[in-house]
Amino acid sequence: MEKEQYQQLEQNVTPKPPYFKNVAKAFLVGGLICTIGQAVSLFYIIFFDFTEATAGNPTVSTMIFFAMILTGFGLYKKIGQIAGAGSAVPVTGFGNAVISAAIEHRSEGLVLGVGGNLFKLAGSVVLFGVVSAFFIALIKFILVSIGVVSW
Amino acid sequence: MKLLGIMLPLLVSLTLLSGCGEKEKFIVYGSPENEKEVETILKEEDYVDKTTVIQYDNSMLVATQIKPWHKWKKTKLEKKLQKKFDEKYPNKEVFVSADYKIFYEANKIKREQVEDNKLKDKIKKLKKLAKEET
Repeated sequence: MEKEQYQQLEQNVTPKPPYFKNVAKAFLVGGLICTIGQAVSLFYIIFFDFTEATAGNPTVSTMIFFAMILTGFGLYKKIGQIAGAGSAVPVTGFGNAVISAAIEHRSEGLVLGVGGNLFKLAGSVVLFGVVSAFFIALIKFILVSIGVVSW
Repeated sequence: MKLLGIMLPLLVSLTLLSGCGEKEKFIVYGSPENEKEVETILKEEDYVDKTTVIQYDNSMLVATQIKPWHKWKKTKLEKKLQKKFDEKYPNKEVFVSADYKIFYEANKIKREQVEDNKLKDKIKKLKKLAKEET
């Protein structure tokens, strides 16, 4: 069998992924996570002295706390199987990436195991976030100094 | 089918909730002087959804909520409204905020009919809170 023939055969046999269904699932589960986040944010605004501008920080940490509990009980991977990107894109997905790495390398010790591998998966997110924030701030600073836009 | 089972009760409850949500869009607490004037100022701005105004001594707290699509420009609209009020009442101390926390607390003050001496402290605290950034 030639290489091209094999590829042709493989394409015929491989089932077509249900794109629309996957998108709908990701949309619903991702939306559900964001709705929970909004509820947590409102909770902080109403019961504590946080405003809309300052409620973001405690909300993010609470959502990561929820993700930590779900990851620890092995439930987050089930959500991930159903929703895909819907569970990976919100901040809970970032929390899941950090915590699952910590759990996986626990047997290698606290410093070299957990400490060294904690950001194995999520490190790139932190790095590119910081670097892109730096460059965006630089561009905005230059634009403000020239006088194109204001802060 | 399973999806429908989740979505249907959600949609029904949402429609029911939006039907019951009709409330007063403009509330004044404290001295009722120039109530109509303030209302017309706010009616001119089509991006304002709901407003609660608290008047005391010579100052005014305008806690407003901006309509959803205009919320992208919330800080800019807030500044615009503040400027408008400052021009209209140059000898009054006006504080405009579009933050939900301020709006919620203003409604709470109205609901609980907070006394004059306590009101000042509360408003001072709210103003400090609105200026916080982190």
